[in-house]
Amino acid sequence: MDKEELKQKILEVIEARVKKGKSKVYLKDIQRDIPDAKARDIKKAANELVQEGKLEYFSTGSTVMFGLPGVGMGLEAGSEDPNK
Amino acid sequence: MSEVKKHDTPMVDELKKGPWPSFVDDIYTYGEKHKKQACFDIMGQLELSYKHKETHWKHGGIVGVFGYGGGVIGRYSDQQDKFPAIWAFHTLRVHHTAGKWYHTSALRKLCEMWDHRGSGLVNFHGSTGDLVLIGTTTEQLEPTFFDLTHQLHWDLGGSGSNLRSPACCMGKSLCEWCLYDVQDLDYELTMHFQDELHRPAFPYKFKFKFSGCPLDCVAAIARADLSFIGIWRDEIQIDQEAVRAYVNGELKPNAGAFSDRDWGPFDIQKEVIERCPGKCMYWDEKEQKLYINNEDCVKCMHCIAVMPEALKPGKDRGVCLLIGAKAPILEGAQLSTVLVPFWRPEPPYDDIKEFIYKIWDFWMENGKNRERIGELIQRIGLNRFLTEVVGIKPIPQHVRVPRDNPYIFWKEEEVPGGWQRDIKEFRKRHPA
Amino acid sequence: MADVVERLKELWGKYDELEGKFKDEMDPIYQEPYYPDAAEKLYNPDKPMQNRVTDIGPPYYWQFLPPVVKKNYGQWKSHEIIQPGVIKRVAESGDVIYVVRCGTPRLETTDYIREICEIADKYCDGYVRWTTRNNVEFIVDSEEKLKALLEDLKNRKHPGGSYKFPIGGTGAGVSNIVHTQGWIHCHTPAIDASGVVKSIMDELFEYFGSHKLPAKTRLALACCLNMCGAVHCSDIAIVGIHRKPPMVEDERLQHVCEIPLVIAACPLGAIKPATVEIDGQKKKTVRVNASRCMFCGNCYTMCPAMPIADGEGDGIAIVVGGKVSNRISAPKFSRVVIPYIPNEPPRWPTTVKWIKKILETYAEHANKYERVGDWIERIGWEKFFELTEIPFTEKSIDDYRLAYTTYRTTTHFKFTKHVDEVKIEV
Ligand code: HEM
Ligand code: HEM
Ligand code: HEM
Ligand code: HEM
Ligand code: SF4
Ligand code: SF4
Ligand code: SF4
Ligand code: SF4
Repeated sequence: MDKEELKQKILEVIEARVKKGKSKVYLKDIQRDIPDAKARDIKKAANELVQEGKLEYFSTGSTVMFGLPGVGMGLEAGSEDPNK
Repeated sequence: MSEVKKHDTPMVDELKKGPWPSFVDDIYTYGEKHKKQACFDIMGQLELSYKHKETHWKHGGIVGVFGYGGGVIGRYSDQQDKFPAIWAFHTLRVHHTAGKWYHTSALRKLCEMWDHRGSGLVNFHGSTGDLVLIGTTTEQLEPTFFDLTHQLHWDLGGSGSNLRSPACCMGKSLCEWCLYDVQDLDYELTMHFQDELHRPAFPYKFKFKFSGCPLDCVAAIARADLSFIGIWRDEIQIDQEAVRAYVNGELKPNAGAFSDRDWGPFDIQKEVIERCPGKCMYWDEKEQKLYINNEDCVKCMHCIAVMPEALKPGKDRGVCLLIGAKAPILEGAQLSTVLVPFWRPEPPYDDIKEFIYKIWDFWMENGKNRERIGELIQRIGLNRFLTEVVGIKPIPQHVRVPRDNPYIFWKEEEVPGGWQRDIKEFRKRHPA
Repeated sequence: MADVVERLKELWGKYDELEGKFKDEMDPIYQEPYYPDAAEKLYNPDKPMQNRVTDIGPPYYWQFLPPVVKKNYGQWKSHEIIQPGVIKRVAESGDVIYVVRCGTPRLETTDYIREICEIADKYCDGYVRWTTRNNVEFIVDSEEKLKALLEDLKNRKHPGGSYKFPIGGTGAGVSNIVHTQGWIHCHTPAIDASGVVKSIMDELFEYFGSHKLPAKTRLALACCLNMCGAVHCSDIAIVGIHRKPPMVEDERLQHVCEIPLVIAACPLGAIKPATVEIDGQKKKTVRVNASRCMFCGNCYTMCPAMPIADGEGDGIAIVVGGKVSNRISAPKFSRVVIPYIPNEPPRWPTTVKWIKKILETYAEHANKYERVGDWIERIGWEKFFELTEIPFTEKSIDDYRLAYTTYRTTTHFKFTKHVDEVKIEV
């Protein structure tokens, strides 16, 4: 699998999870969904997707997850809009 | 800047009293001088916490600056109306230098930058080791990072599921016991693994810590997934003249560390020989000579620390690599376990770097979400980790005691003839 | 302003040439003034990668070493603590330096750092370092400078009278307390950190600046179970604990939290999805299996509608007897001796009282070189509880994983008063 293909796969995996209502995904879960790629390659590709603005990070406090920008719980999680 | 709004903080003010440096006085003095509302608001919120006995912070999902998966911790106050200046109050972790040495020209510039970009509050240092800049808004995160990299040539440290900022003891810069160059190894690995430090790579966090000798001043054995502890393997160097000087009371035992209490005259038999865990020392009263059976020495450093002028670690020096320490969450706390008993680190440390990749690759493939390497090793067994993952021959030094049960998971290929047996042949020998 | 950007680029060129490894000279960037508006010129929110410098790491440490340290790097011969807080170091070359160690509150302002800079400029040519335990160290190369420096440090005080730079932290005393953020900055703490540390250090102040204990005594504080500070292997340590599971704010939860994320955040799988009806409206929410909750607060991290802190429930546990150093005995963990003390801001008197009691009982009974844990192992835990008068409760008996290894499976024990407390009712 070349890198572009892998990136495409990663986006698909995350989109599939978003459809199930989970907007943030652990690196491990991406790796589990793409068993035929090496963990280190997935890590590199996912981090490049962040540089390209196609993914963004989300902190749980102690670990980091990946999500689609603007989808689901926002980065300003503590600052919810009181009118919502 | 307009006038600041002060809050009444009677309880917090109690902490101005007493001899230990008061952070309250410091923060208030700074707030007055620089007219920083954030300082008054954070003291006001602390007062409220003292009243409620509860924190007033909320977490935000922010992790870092663009492209970084760590280095920033998002915080919001739940008292937006009362304390608007600290409504968003994020921290940045700035990577400390190896051995935590600085020059004031760099520190002053860092301070000036932080006065401008943030609250002016800092931690020197956070418990992982980073310099922590406490308190700024989301808009200031990128400019702060640009200031750090362009105007200070300084990068953020790690947080999240990354390599965390490595840390080492003062090492060769000040300590005569340092057995390998902790600062150099710390710096080299830090620079080599910048990608792993800044972007999520692993199932969970990973830490390196480097101590120059078994006294372990950075608590590597208790805190690091990979603990590098200096060790020697040949004879302790003895200056018999100096030993006699200690015995005769001419030198202060333990370099003066017990000076304020009368423990009586120095008694080498009681204080050194009988305390030696290797039971390998002998003081010949007649000859006035110290003997050490170095084969039985466990390198605990006690005798050396008591008589630093007389004893020195040996000359054949290296590092003992231990693996798997972690805090109690979740499977209970673990100390690091001996992995490579002796390794001579040579710059540029390519062998160490490759070895680390080998461990990471296995962890990335096999670790579960939020499973530290120490927990993974427990799950699969140290024996399997040694033989099948890192390819290290198991030796008695890997265990405290051998196992107490013979419930061994033999593999088929280890048993002559394998596991496929012929029941008919069996029955020929053992009629049913 | 363009020239500022040019100037910074030029300086970057020098850095780049050496890959940051400034050895004999310091990176000239530190002599350059700070330009408050340079970042705005360099950073373009629409093109975030433009002008972005990444992965450069910390400054190379070598440039920050004082010349005498560079010269004698790895060539130190011996040291002597000539008085608490002052270490004389002698190099093979015959060079002598004096290292003066001072406690700091760790939480401080840039003005406090500037004051450290002022001192370092005056006596140490601008070089300064910190220790792992939040102490700051000034290095001088003559006895005259040492005298002047000590005098200067003693006279620097805050308006309320506290010392800014107490001298000590060496040898057989109490060093600075490693600690975490507490109510100053974290969202999951059960206790404050800086205030508790200040209260304890005020009370133990004489032990910071003296060498009268049987051995080094390491104190630490972590304000929740996540334990960001190294508490579990300290002689005496304080851990903040919650004792109530999180509340669930049903009306608000689905608006502010993503339920699968909250469920995944719980390390013990104690959170399940649920639906409730409020005013005839169905709302998605969660339920917490309280008997499974270990009060870690991870759920609150993911969901502001699950607050865990509770003024009445939260408090302090005290653990003792751990160590990290390999000296004489192996590293070991601290053990819970007081399972709970309520939060008592601003001075935490009960906590301070017990810590002092433990420390002074140890100081009275332990042999020279014995760390707290070694002393307790020699006399036995039953004796420890008797001497310190800490009531032993069932909370000190482990029931987490591998608990069995802590049970007593031998008839070796001592007959302390506890034995007579066992009454068999039939
Ligand atoms: C589930 C586990 C954990 C969570 C949710 C967690 C969360 C956090 C949070 C939110 C902070 C930020 C505090 C602040 O500045 O506001 C923090 C800081 C920190 N954490 Fe953790 N943490 C966890 C486990 C650990 C562990 C196991 C360690 C180390 C063994 C650790 C080490 C640190 C350190 C060193 C800091 C820097 C703060 C300081 O120095 O005071 N954390 N953690
Ligand atoms: C009573 C309980 C304990 C407390 C309060 C406690 C607290 C802490 C804290 C605050 C840290 C963070 C250190 C840092 O990174 O700066 C830490 C790290 C660590 N603790 Fe403990 N601990 C406890 C028990 C234990 C036990 C029993 C063990 C081992 C069996 C242990 C092993 C470790 C290890 C290995 C680390 C380094 C961990 C890491 O980086 O995640 N702790 N502990
Ligand atoms: C594969 C491993 C083991 C085998 C095949 C084995 C076999 C036996 C046998 C045949 C007996 C005698 C039973 C009888 O009286 O008829 C016995 C008894 C006993 N075994 Fe094991 N044993 C094993 C492991 C262990 C281990 C690991 C322990 C303890 C650590 C242990 C402790 C005992 C004790 C205490 C008895 C005496 C029980 C009694 O008399 O009530 N055994 N074992
Ligand atoms: C590898 C481990 C062990 C094995 C294979 C083993 C095996 C045995 C066997 C075969 C017997 C004789 C049973 C018989 O009378 O027919 C026995 C008895 C016994 N074993 Fe062990 N044993 C082991 C470890 C231990 C340990 C660790 C202990 C105690 C701490 C222990 C205590 C006893 C006792 C008390 C008996 C009964 C003796 C008696 O009643 O005469 N054994 N064991
Ligand atoms: S760990 Fe050893 S080498 Fe490092 S500072 Fe401590 S005593 Fe010195
Ligand atoms: S280093 Fe420790 S074990 Fe070795 S001789 Fe000295 S006291 Fe004994
Ligand atoms: S110990 Fe807990 S409460 Fe304290 S700073 Fe760390 S995560 Fe926050
Ligand atoms: S406090 Fe921790 S254990 Fe309890 S429900 Fe929340 S996440 Fe789970």
